[in-house]
Amino acid sequence: MGNKGKRGVVILLENVTKEYKLGKIIVNALRGIDLNISQGEFVSICGPSGSGKSTLLNLMGCLDVPTSGRIHIQNNDVTILKDGDLSRLRNRTIGFIFQMFNLIPVLNTFENVEYPLIILGISKKERQERVLKTVEDVGLSNFIKHRPDELSGGQRQRVAIGRALVTNPKIILADEPTANLDSKTGIEVLDLMKKMNEEHKTTFIFSTHDPKIMNYADKIYIISDGRMT
Amino acid sequence: MKALLLLALRNIFKNKRRTAMTFMAIISGMTGIIVFGGFIEFTYQGLRETTIRTQLGHVQIYKKGYSEQGIADPSHYLMDNPEQIETMMSGMPNIKMITRRLTFSGLVSTGEKTLTCKGIGIVVAKKEEEMSNFETIVDGVQLEPDMRDGGVVGIDLMNALGAKVGDNLTLLTTTRDGTINGIDFKIVGVAQTGSQEYDSVFIKLPIQSVQKLLDTTSIEKMIVLLDETDNVSKVMPLLENIIKEKGLDLELKSWSELAAFYHKVVKLYDGIFDVVRIIIAIIVLFSVANTMSMSVFERVREIGTLRAIGTTRGGILRLFMAEGFLIGVLGGLLGIIMSILIAYAINISGGIEIPPPPSMNRGYTALILIIPKVIFHAFLLIVSVSTLSSLYPAYKASQLKVVEALQHV
Repeated sequence: MGNKGKRGVVILLENVTKEYKLGKIIVNALRGIDLNISQGEFVSICGPSGSGKSTLLNLMGCLDVPTSGRIHIQNNDVTILKDGDLSRLRNRTIGFIFQMFNLIPVLNTFENVEYPLIILGISKKERQERVLKTVEDVGLSNFIKHRPDELSGGQRQRVAIGRALVTNPKIILADEPTANLDSKTGIEVLDLMKKMNEEHKTTFIFSTHDPKIMNYADKIYIISDGRMT
Repeated sequence: MKALLLLALRNIFKNKRRTAMTFMAIISGMTGIIVFGGFIEFTYQGLRETTIRTQLGHVQIYKKGYSEQGIADPSHYLMDNPEQIETMMSGMPNIKMITRRLTFSGLVSTGEKTLTCKGIGIVVAKKEEEMSNFETIVDGVQLEPDMRDGGVVGIDLMNALGAKVGDNLTLLTTTRDGTINGIDFKIVGVAQTGSQEYDSVFIKLPIQSVQKLLDTTSIEKMIVLLDETDNVSKVMPLLENIIKEKGLDLELKSWSELAAFYHKVVKLYDGIFDVVRIIIAIIVLFSVANTMSMSVFERVREIGTLRAIGTTRGGILRLFMAEGFLIGVLGGLLGIIMSILIAYAINISGGIEIPPPPSMNRGYTALILIIPKVIFHAFLLIVSVSTLSSLYPAYKASQLKVVEALQHV
């Protein structure tokens, strides 16, 4: 509780647990996580497969609700929010980068990056300016009209980074962002994330099981069997 | 909204083959409704015009009380001065012809065979030909002004009597004061109207012959024929006004109030048309629902992504319903084009030969009319059904759990 309300803390987890039912068995994915992440940090959550990394990121991203415990995003207790409020919070405060890129296949680079701004209700003119700037930031100015299936894996992940950044969120969550990329491209993507973190002071939290990747972070949390170690 | 429709439109054409199959179902359905609707509208028009031009006219004028009491007591409801009314109406717009009628029920006999008949006294003049347009003279000739003792007999009555053109027939009936009277007439022609019910009883005579038979100088009613059937609603109030202004002891009936058979046919066909529409709507409903369900199933992870970046449940619901709506609109528009082409093709190739309907003794060639109202209703139906059928898949999509949707492979 000590960190609650503390200036600069964007994510605060208090004794968070998550249980899943797998058939008749209850799986304890997270067993009492306490964590706080401050504005502008570049954080890595590391652990082997099945350790609870993705579950933790999903909870921090308000994509799922904990079984017990409290999660505060920018001093708001998100465990008491309704689905519509969570959608708006995700749209305004959190950007997501997925392992499989998760771009909308029928939209081109510009439109994929633009989409969160449409949900946000930004005017067309402002959307145009912000998308072009973001696409330039992620180095895809020449690929604006390309659809995802016309882009390489690295380019797709750059589009995803652009889509996550375009709303100027406080937090960007990246679940194994380099897992589907070759090591060279993976490092390029991490370099881009680091650059954006430094330029925009956006908090980046990414999960990985790769020790080489995790060392890119300023702060590393190791998770194992649902506990922080 | 624009972005939503654009995304929906792109998604529709993502799986071209499946969308083409859905469009095929919608186009077939639309074509079915519009072509069938055009066919029955043609049938309505044909039956309506036949009824008007062979029997009823557009408007009938009687002595007041005739329509309620005239059948039981016709002698008290005859009109004495038709000339006055004819003079009053001459020069009125939309009126093509005014003529007189005097009818009777009685017996017709060849001397060997005697049958019941319904006689109609007409004013034999050039203008009466308007009312005979839908009659076909199958033997002999139509009544001419100089054939004062002539008559035209319905084909089925003719066959039943075993008579031929040139034969003399005797008519027997009771006069308006109750005594039995008879006249002879010579068959000058045999007519067919298409209505078996009518062709098996009717005899058409000069009105003077019927007046002689009924021992009267009056007439029963006046028949007004207009240039267009649609003008009835315009002319009726004008006529009513004249009657009211002049204080005449008359009443009016439009063809529609008298055409019970026509209305029964319309009701029957409308019922059949409704069944056709329901069947087609169900086919379209399942077709679009199937497409939308498959689309939702294929795009579970995409739905998860959209939800993750902030789309609300309502946003997902609207997206998929927009896809159903657009499938309906695009399929519907293609359906309209296709049905118009098919209707043209049918009409150019000479129409569809239809065998005699019940109670008719001849078939007809049906054309397909392009009726904007039918097209509009079909389009509205298809778009509504298509949007409605996407409701359940869209609801299912909106209720997916974000995490589970994102993990979907």
